[in-house]
Amino acid sequence: MSQDRHLILDNCIKCNICVANCPVVKVTDQYAGPKQNGPDLERFRLDEPAAVHPSIGYCSNCKTCDFVCPSGVNVATMNCKAKGEYVALNGAPLRDQVLGRVELICKAAQIAPSIVNWAAGVGPFRAMGEALFGVAAQMPFPRFATKTFLQQFKPKKIAHPKGKVLYYPGCYVNYYTPEVGLALAKVFAHNGIEMVVDDFNCCGLPTVSNGLMDAAKAYGVNNLAKLNRYIKEGYAVVTTCPSCNLMLRQEYHELFDMDTTLVTENTYDAFEYLLMCHEKGQLDRNLKRLPRRYGYHQPCHLRAVGYGVPSLEILRLIPELQVTALDAGCCGLSGSYGFKKEKYPIAREIGQNIVRAVADTGVKQAVTECGMCQLQVNHVTGLPVVHPIQLLAEAYGL
Amino acid sequence: MMNKKTDVLIIGAGLSGLLAAAKAVESGKGVTVAAKGMGSLSLSSGCIDLWGYDIDDPQRVCQNPLAQIARLNEVNPEHPYTKVADVLEESLRYFQGLTERYGCPYRDNGGANWLLPTALGTFRPSFLAPPSMALRDLDKAKRIVIVGYEELKDFYPEVMASNLARNGNLPESVKLTVVKLRSAWKKLYATTLAHRLEQAEGIREAVEQIKAHIVDGTVVLFPPVLGERLDIDVTGQLAKALGAPVYEVANIPPALPGQRLQQLLLKHLRNAGVDVIIGCTFTGAKVEGNRCLQVTAEGAGKTFTFSAKTYILATGAFVGGGLDSRIGEAREVIFNLPVRTAEKWASGEFLSMNGHGFNRFGIAVNDRLQPLDREGRVCLENVRITGANLAGANGPIEKCGNGIAVASGYKAGKLAGEVAQ
Repeated sequence: MSQDRHLILDNCIKCNICVANCPVVKVTDQYAGPKQNGPDLERFRLDEPAAVHPSIGYCSNCKTCDFVCPSGVNVATMNCKAKGEYVALNGAPLRDQVLGRVELICKAAQIAPSIVNWAAGVGPFRAMGEALFGVAAQMPFPRFATKTFLQQFKPKKIAHPKGKVLYYPGCYVNYYTPEVGLALAKVFAHNGIEMVVDDFNCCGLPTVSNGLMDAAKAYGVNNLAKLNRYIKEGYAVVTTCPSCNLMLRQEYHELFDMDTTLVTENTYDAFEYLLMCHEKGQLDRNLKRLPRRYGYHQPCHLRAVGYGVPSLEILRLIPELQVTALDAGCCGLSGSYGFKKEKYPIAREIGQNIVRAVADTGVKQAVTECGMCQLQVNHVTGLPVVHPIQLLAEAYGL
Repeated sequence: MMNKKTDVLIIGAGLSGLLAAAKAVESGKGVTVAAKGMGSLSLSSGCIDLWGYDIDDPQRVCQNPLAQIARLNEVNPEHPYTKVADVLEESLRYFQGLTERYGCPYRDNGGANWLLPTALGTFRPSFLAPPSMALRDLDKAKRIVIVGYEELKDFYPEVMASNLARNGNLPESVKLTVVKLRSAWKKLYATTLAHRLEQAEGIREAVEQIKAHIVDGTVVLFPPVLGERLDIDVTGQLAKALGAPVYEVANIPPALPGQRLQQLLLKHLRNAGVDVIIGCTFTGAKVEGNRCLQVTAEGAGKTFTFSAKTYILATGAFVGGGLDSRIGEAREVIFNLPVRTAEKWASGEFLSMNGHGFNRFGIAVNDRLQPLDREGRVCLENVRITGANLAGANGPIEKCGNGIAVASGYKAGKLAGEVAQ
């Protein structure tokens, strides 16, 4: 990546394609839109950082504006920075400060995950949470695993590894769905790839989405230093969460101007990595039949990477497995966004695209990479949702 | 580095790229569409312009676009239409068939141009229009109700009404009424309003405020905001509730008819099994002899490659980003193909009726849409060029952009389908 890439403000020709595709603008009159909050006001912010519109809080950071822009303007980055400016000037409510610091919530919950899970499901507590803190009572919290991924993972020594990867699980897999990380470990070991883990900070994306830029930057500095050490030792960095992936390989640089050259070049989505192994003929093709049908939801932050859906290409290798793309756009949840009382109806309304796609295709179960998307797809449709790596592990009989 | 393999790679997700994909995938080949952005189709009027004005008398609206295009062979043999003349009518029928299949049958006007009202109260010639815009015999209306919203930016019904009174050649008996609605929603973009009109409250809110202005023989004109989804007929619902025909007029983007067309074509491609990847920027190509072996793309800062048997270049011209320019030099950004330019790049007058030279810039091709070098030799035999990448058209003046996109996209897709496996 060219490290001199900066906010290409003048490339915006005001064509409105970002407005036309913004999922939030479509369903509410509260948001002034990506163009106005982004490149339009950015021109003023160059002189006066206080030129932020209060509606910036309604940007869900789904990044649709970025990847639909034909002129290469990083609208979402401008919006994230603007949100940071707004929060720096006006402060963030306690709720956003807590929701943004996913890592701290998760660490705190580790004291007694089952009690936290129980409390998160109790109606009166949730009603209180909504009344006092503005946390939407109707949006179910994900359930903490009793043991984290890092507690459960046991590294496997491989004699002549075909590759060496450092897995960055992210908060969601580590604390909520360790089975995803464990499935990845099995798939890698099965294919002769050595996988190691380490203790990292949250990637910082939830903090950015809540305008807490200093906290995000601090995470970034720690993570980058550690990742660079591994890469210099010959490890490739692999993620299963599209948001972590995007944060590591693009956002630290775009938001904080950090030098991410090494990390950008050497960070892969798990299926991107597996696809490269497959092309080199290094992937075991001996897969069991999985005579089932799934609806695939593409997370926005995977779309934003612009390389398509590597997982679909790998899943196609599994005999009799049918995966139908739902192609319904953003699920609406956007991490902590849909947990906010005033934004829950927006998130739910955007999610209706998924409901319609599920009805159209008639699928009874879904598959998607992003943990938060899994939560929302399940919330709006009631369907069970898995990560694609779980299907691959199953097809290997692992 | 990740390499993606496909039989046909279409670079660009505008009208010509999507049509090329639709046609190519019928051959049973693997087809991928990849583009930097969403494609400007969603910004277009949603109509298919073919040829707007008379070749001999540019002030006059062209009565028979197909007949005029047939004459280009003699009067302007470099025009892209001359390279696709063999499939032009076939491609239009194909396009109409596709739109019909998804419940939005594009209508022709019996071989003549439609004259469709715009938000500025002018009339624009177009060949195919979606049902919500295909308005006939406006001059036979007893009353024309022009609907705007206080909260909607970018549409001023008063301006439209006063210009329509001047330009419309309407009989004096036609009454023009402006109705400015108030919405319960405070800030409306075209897309926001479209969503609101897909809800029962949105329809109710509009009907309650318009109803009193409807008399026998009224035609109701809306800005192009009548719904985004293909499965809800907002135009039909309004017409039924009002007891009068309702139409959308053309306006600046975002306009929903273009978005609906884009959505329709994307839905078709999904059903047909085409991979569509948005957000990757193509940066170069690896060429051996006169064949392209692979192209390089960048997404989120990282480079990857695509390899295909046929590459269809549908990246557009300067606005789309397919062509780039510096002082005295224009270039095609992926394959570095020679761009045909002209001595005079621009007319001194911004809105010159002769148009600007740069609009004609593009890549010269043979009748198989293969790119040609300055000596007229094919430079890359497995690359086809479509739409605004083609040299020789003057879209803003001739009103031919979407027509060329449909025909050239269709032809490139057809040729790609014929390539031996």
